[in-house]
Amino acid sequence: MTQNRPPEPSDPRWLDDILDDLAQAPVAAPSPQLMARVLADAETMLPAPGGVRPARPWWQQMVQGLGGWGAVGGLVAAAATGFAVGLGGIDPTGTDALWSLGYDTLFEETGGLDAFGWDWDEG
Amino acid sequence: MTMPLDTDPQTDDAALLARFARGDAGAARTLTARLVPRVHAQAMRMLGDQAAAEDVAQEAMMRLWRIAPEWRTGEAKVTTWLYRVVANLCTDRLRARSRGPVGLDEAAEPEDPAPSAEAQLQTQARHDALRRALAELPERQRLAVMLRHFEGASNPEIAARLDISTEAVESLTARGKRALAQALKGQVAALGYEG
Repeated sequence: MTQNRPPEPSDPRWLDDILDDLAQAPVAAPSPQLMARVLADAETMLPAPGGVRPARPWWQQMVQGLGGWGAVGGLVAAAATGFAVGLGGIDPTGTDALWSLGYDTLFEETGGLDAFGWDWDEG
Repeated sequence: MTMPLDTDPQTDDAALLARFARGDAGAARTLTARLVPRVHAQAMRMLGDQAAAEDVAQEAMMRLWRIAPEWRTGEAKVTTWLYRVVANLCTDRLRARSRGPVGLDEAAEPEDPAPSAEAQLQTQARHDALRRALAELPERQRLAVMLRHFEGASNPEIAARLDISTEAVESLTARGKRALAQALKGQVAALGYEG
């Protein structure tokens, strides 16, 4: 069975008018300052004759090799977190030893859980 | 400063870029003279703001200098690559602009000082509404509509520049314009048109 697609609605006239209006809007020429900025960038990026880029400092190459400053930031944050978690494992004041700070003793001394004045019977 | 001139109109952009990649400063001057006016005009049309358009033009040219050593002649035209880069940079700015409040400093400068203040505001509002709607289109629809209407490119020319078939260009342009009409239809009267 052949299914006839409905005809495409034609573009409204006003849309072409808006597009033409913007297309015909006068555009100023680029300023000499822009040309100077672009040429200065080109000079900075210009490879040495023969096609060799000017060498960058070793630390810039290392940052680039790791994936840029974002990646380095992530790496530092991960290292710091790992270091903190590692400390917690061996130090009684770390994250694994919160109960060793004495909160459990305080909890037991203050009477434990109750419900509207009625003490819970444990066990 | 003296404006750089295109002293080598016979040499194509890709050849000049290859010369730049081999350390030829003269090629940089010729490419700057040839490409910056186009890139700037495109950014200006899309953004309507001189300072932002200059920033985009500088950033796009910076990307061109950066990619020069890896440029593979024959894969894409330099102007097409730049057109796409500028369109994307402008789109990012337009989307950021429509997400945040527009302060007086960020508001686009009036484009033409001659018409009356009211007509000028109307034109400005019309252009800004179209720019925002264009920024919301998918990339290929936006490029197809812009190449057709702003550059006056024919379907086969757009097809060659986007590396797609002529039928695909027709479909992209039609869908893009339908989406634009949909986005703008509530504002037609306010923008001074009859719906």
